Amino acid sequence: MDKIKRGQHKESFLNGILKENPLLVQILGLCPALAVTKSLETAFGMGLLFTFVLVSSNVIVSLLRKLIPEEIKTPCYIVVIATFVTIVKMFAEAFLPELYSSLGVFLSLLVVNCIVLGRSEAFAGQNGVFDSFLDGCGNGIGYTWAISLMGIIREVLGLGTLTIGKVFNFFGDPLVLPILKSTTLDSNGNPLYDFSISIFQNPAGAFIVLGLMLATMAAITNHKKAVEKAKEKAAKEAAKAELAAKAALAGGAK
Amino acid sequence: MEMIVSFILAIVSYMLIDNVVLSRFYGICSFIGVGNKVKSAFSMGLAVTFVIMMATLVCYPLYFYVLVPAGIPFLDTLVYILVIASLVQIVGLFIKKTSPSLYKTLGIYLPLITTNCAVLGVVQTNSDSQLDFLTSLANGLGTSIGFLVVIVLFACMRERMNGYNIPKAMKGVPIALIVAALMAMAFMGFGGMVG
Amino acid sequence: MDQRTAFIIAIITIVALLIVFVVSFVIYMRTPAPKGCEKLKIGPKNCEDCDVEGCMIYKERHKEQKEE
Repeated sequence: MDKIKRGQHKESFLNGILKENPLLVQILGLCPALAVTKSLETAFGMGLLFTFVLVSSNVIVSLLRKLIPEEIKTPCYIVVIATFVTIVKMFAEAFLPELYSSLGVFLSLLVVNCIVLGRSEAFAGQNGVFDSFLDGCGNGIGYTWAISLMGIIREVLGLGTLTIGKVFNFFGDPLVLPILKSTTLDSNGNPLYDFSISIFQNPAGAFIVLGLMLATMAAITNHKKAVEKAKEKAAKEAAKAELAAKAALAGGAK
Repeated sequence: MEMIVSFILAIVSYMLIDNVVLSRFYGICSFIGVGNKVKSAFSMGLAVTFVIMMATLVCYPLYFYVLVPAGIPFLDTLVYILVIASLVQIVGLFIKKTSPSLYKTLGIYLPLITTNCAVLGVVQTNSDSQLDFLTSLANGLGTSIGFLVVIVLFACMRERMNGYNIPKAMKGVPIALIVAALMAMAFMGFGGMVG
Repeated sequence: MDQRTAFIIAIITIVALLIVFVVSFVIYMRTPAPKGCEKLKIGPKNCEDCDVEGCMIYKERHKEQKEE
C-alpha cells in the first residue's frame, strides 16, 4: 500500500531539501544543530553521519514494514536506529578520530534524534524502499546544508577565520581563510585586523544564530504566502471585472 | 567530609555552570516544546528528574559490571536507550494506573521524555568520561535540577511574553531561541564560580 | 569469571532488556487511560498553550481557527 504514486519520486527527494526542511521548516533536531556548529567542518561532518544514519534506518524500516507488527513498531524502530548509530560511532572512531572527539556525545544522541525517529514513523513505515531512500537522502541533505550554513556563520563571526581541511585532514595542511581576522601578525604579535565577535562561539551565540535563521525562513515563507494571496486576489478581481464588463456590454446591447 | 564537599560542588557545577539546556544543549526539544504553562513545565521537569536518576542508577552497573567485562562496551548506546525507554514506559504505566490527576498534566509529555536527549546525554557522558559512581550521581542530580530550574524559568518568561507584539516572523520558536540566548548569557556569569 | 561467561551474561542481559522494553510498551499501550483522560492525546485541543509553529498540530489548529 504505497502512498506515493509513480512519477512522484522526485518530490519525495526534493521535499526535504527546502520545502519541508527538517531544521528550518519543521524545526526538529535542534540539539545537534546548536551543539556541533562551532565550526563549518564539525557541522558538515555531523550532517554526513546523520544522513548515513537516516538513509540506512529509513531503508531497513521500509524493508521490514510488512514484517513489523503494528503494535510494537516504535520499539523496533528504536532498535534499528540504535544499531546504525553504533555502526556510525565505530566508523567515526576508526577513520575520523578528530571529528569523533569534537562531536563527542552528540553522535550517540542521534539515537533520540526527532528527525530520524519521525521519518521512520511518518514516511519509511508506510512507503516503498526506493522512496524511503530518496526521502532519507533529501532530508539528510536539507539538514546538512542548514547546519553547515550555521557553522559558517558561527565560525566566521566568532573566530574570524574559516578553516577547511582540519577535521577531514586527508589533503595535508588545513587551509585557513582570513575573513574577519587577519592571519598575518604585525610586529607586536597581534593580527593586522580582527573584527571577530567571540560571543558567537559561545552557547548564547548558537541560540541567536539559529533564532535569526528560523526567523528569516519564516519571513521568506510569509512573504511567499502574501505574494501568492495577492496574486490570487488580483486574479479574482480581474475575473470579476471581466464579468462585470461583459454584463455591462450585454446590458448595453439590450 | 571532603567527599561531601566535592559531591556538592560537582552538583552545583553541573547545575549552573554546565547547565544542561543552556550550555550543553541537551533537551532543547522538550525545552521549546513544553510551551508556556508553568505547571506543566514543572511536572515535566520532575518526571525528567526521576527518569534521569533511575537511568543513572541502572546504567552505571550495567556498563561497568556487565558490558566492560564482556568486552563489548561499544554496545552501550543500545543498552542505554533500551533502559531509558523501558523506564519511561514503566513510569507511564504506574502513573496511568494510580494517579489520573498526574496523568492529566503529564500524559501527553511522556513520549517526549524518551526522546529527551538530557537522559541519554547524562548516562552516555558518565560512561564516556569514565566517571566514578558518586560523580555520576552528582552529574544526574545536577543535570536534572538544572533542567527543572531552567525549564520553569523559561515557561514563566514565555507566559509573560504572551500579550507582546512580536514581529510575525519572530513568533513562536525564533523568539523563544532569542530568549534562551539571553538566559544563556546570564548563566555565563556563573562560569568560574567553582574552581 | 572468564570473558566467555561475561559475554554470555551480557548478551542475556541485553535480550532481557529488549523483552522488558517490548512487554512494557505493549502493556502501556493496552492499558486504558484513567477516567476523564480518555481523550488525552496530542491534538488540537490539548496544545492550545503551545506555539511551536513548525508542529503539524499548530498548523491544523490555525487552519481550523481561520475557517471558524
